[in-house]
Amino acid sequence: MAINDSPVAPSTSTSSSNSAPTPTSTLTSTSTSTQANAPSTTTNPPNFTVKDGLAKMFKGGVIMDVVNASQARIAEEAGACAVMALERVPADIRADGGVARMSDPSLVREIMAAVTIPVMAKARIGHFVECQILQALGVDYIDESEVLTPADDAFHVEKHAFRTPFVCGCRGLGEALRRIDEGAAMIRTKGEAGTGDVVEAVRHMRTVTAEINRARGMSDVELRGYAKELNAPFRLLKEAAELGRLPVVNFAAGGVATPADAALMMQLGCDGVFVGSGIFKSGDAAKRAAAIVQAVTHFRDPAVLAEVSTGLGEAMVGLNVGRLAEGEKMAGRGW
Amino acid sequence: MTRNIVVGVLALQGAFNEHFKLLRKASPEIAIGQDRNWEFVEVRTAQNLDRCDALIIPGGESTTVSLVAARSNLLEPLRDFVKQVQNFSLRRRPTWGTCAGLILLAESANRTKQGGQELIGGLDVRVNRNYFGRQTESFEAELALPFLGPKDSIGDIKPFNGIFIRAPVVEKVLPVIRGEQASERAIDETVVAPSRSPEGGMMEHVLRPVEVMATLPGRSRTFRDNVAAMGGEDEVGDIIAVKQGNVFGTSFHPELTEDARIHVWWLQQVKDMTQRQERT
Repeated sequence: MAINDSPVAPSTSTSSSNSAPTPTSTLTSTSTSTQANAPSTTTNPPNFTVKDGLAKMFKGGVIMDVVNASQARIAEEAGACAVMALERVPADIRADGGVARMSDPSLVREIMAAVTIPVMAKARIGHFVECQILQALGVDYIDESEVLTPADDAFHVEKHAFRTPFVCGCRGLGEALRRIDEGAAMIRTKGEAGTGDVVEAVRHMRTVTAEINRARGMSDVELRGYAKELNAPFRLLKEAAELGRLPVVNFAAGGVATPADAALMMQLGCDGVFVGSGIFKSGDAAKRAAAIVQAVTHFRDPAVLAEVSTGLGEAMVGLNVGRLAEGEKMAGRGW
Repeated sequence: MTRNIVVGVLALQGAFNEHFKLLRKASPEIAIGQDRNWEFVEVRTAQNLDRCDALIIPGGESTTVSLVAARSNLLEPLRDFVKQVQNFSLRRRPTWGTCAGLILLAESANRTKQGGQELIGGLDVRVNRNYFGRQTESFEAELALPFLGPKDSIGDIKPFNGIFIRAPVVEKVLPVIRGEQASERAIDETVVAPSRSPEGGMMEHVLRPVEVMATLPGRSRTFRDNVAAMGGEDEVGDIIAVKQGNVFGTSFHPELTEDARIHVWWLQQVKDMTQRQERT
């Protein structure tokens, strides 16, 4: 995949005041000599192959929000392919109000020590220093997330310059391609986090699919016009049109609360599922988490889905997205 | 009367579609006779697995794959597939594991989750999971893979782009023994695969020693010292590909490249083994 014409090494990145990766100590202290000799035949920015590669390893899996080590262990035993460390699950962020920020590093470290599966953590939109901190902590993926309170109302983080890969949310194709252009190696549809209502996740997934379908078969001239309409880079739009899908792994997120919700998103064409409040705000978290994992593997098998949906106890209470005021929605954050 | 050769890819979680892409690219290069085709199938159930002559276990999260396999009643069928007991002898069917797949095919593994994890087994090796560290230590490296060419042309083989994602390594080649690796079980925080030895004490005449197929030289001094300090057993270079009889494992991800050479090589092995089996 060609994203930039000229790869920009982190140390030589001067293009923007908001990139600024961490000092070289965290970038080089553990690097092996083989990295320096890595082939330079690809036009990808540095490390993009391994960033995209880890996202591909998540495919067909469930990534679960956790706020402490014991939740992380429950997620790991349930079969999560990664966990997402955050201070409060979205449902609590909604209930509590106030500014939601990156977790305390001690919590992130505790979670990293408790499990052997990959650990992701959330940073605020545009807050490149939170991202530097998370990279220094050694997390496996950073989620520049609308679930936290945005730190910048105009710009997202320049993500290519980081060694740690990024996942970002989208509501449609244009937003997804802008994030990939900035360096995101993985996308998730936003949905509406902390509601337990899957309607927005479905809307965003269908929008991405419909917009890609529209782009397929367009001539270059038409694609240039469509790129302007979507406010997306032409080169990435063309790539998505040729592939018939986003050029990076795309998970569903925001409102998935049941095994059936998870299988619904898989049948709509996503590569895997994030589950936030849906697990630890439900009656029997361990059982529900394992059931959602089974549902994502066997998403086309209604007999298995019926079995794993049985007797899960109470689902999260949920908020009806239709009754939320515009200002209460998180998905609108992101530019 | 011959039938298609059916190759399954375990599709519980991970990068299984990427393997299908390269299998489809590789298969036209290995002809298997008239009226006979390669058939590639997703394996999610024991019924899917029953149809397979050979199996790929892809990269993904090995913890997830082993838990989902157990809950899908697929763990024991997978063990029976890889180490098949037939006529009082043990036959290892053509199986290839990449990254997480290598971990699952190992007879012994360490640095697994708290409480350990289930292994399928098939390769008498000890695998150190996430040996190279976390994602920030993931890397690409040009690999010299001697098995991709005739023995006298090693220098002429184009290097293979090895992609290592939170990758495991073969820490130790174990002695080939009957039953489980009991001495490994005795080591702290090490899990072993269960025995699949035939009862009655017949010799496992088809069991072969583990062949080291590729190593990764040139780890930095600091890194090696860290590993030594952690009690790892250092070999000359890191072992990143092994083969024992019909079972093959790589710690890197050929499925993340566009280079189908290893898939071509492996399909040739599958073809040879299948035809050998059919003759007997």
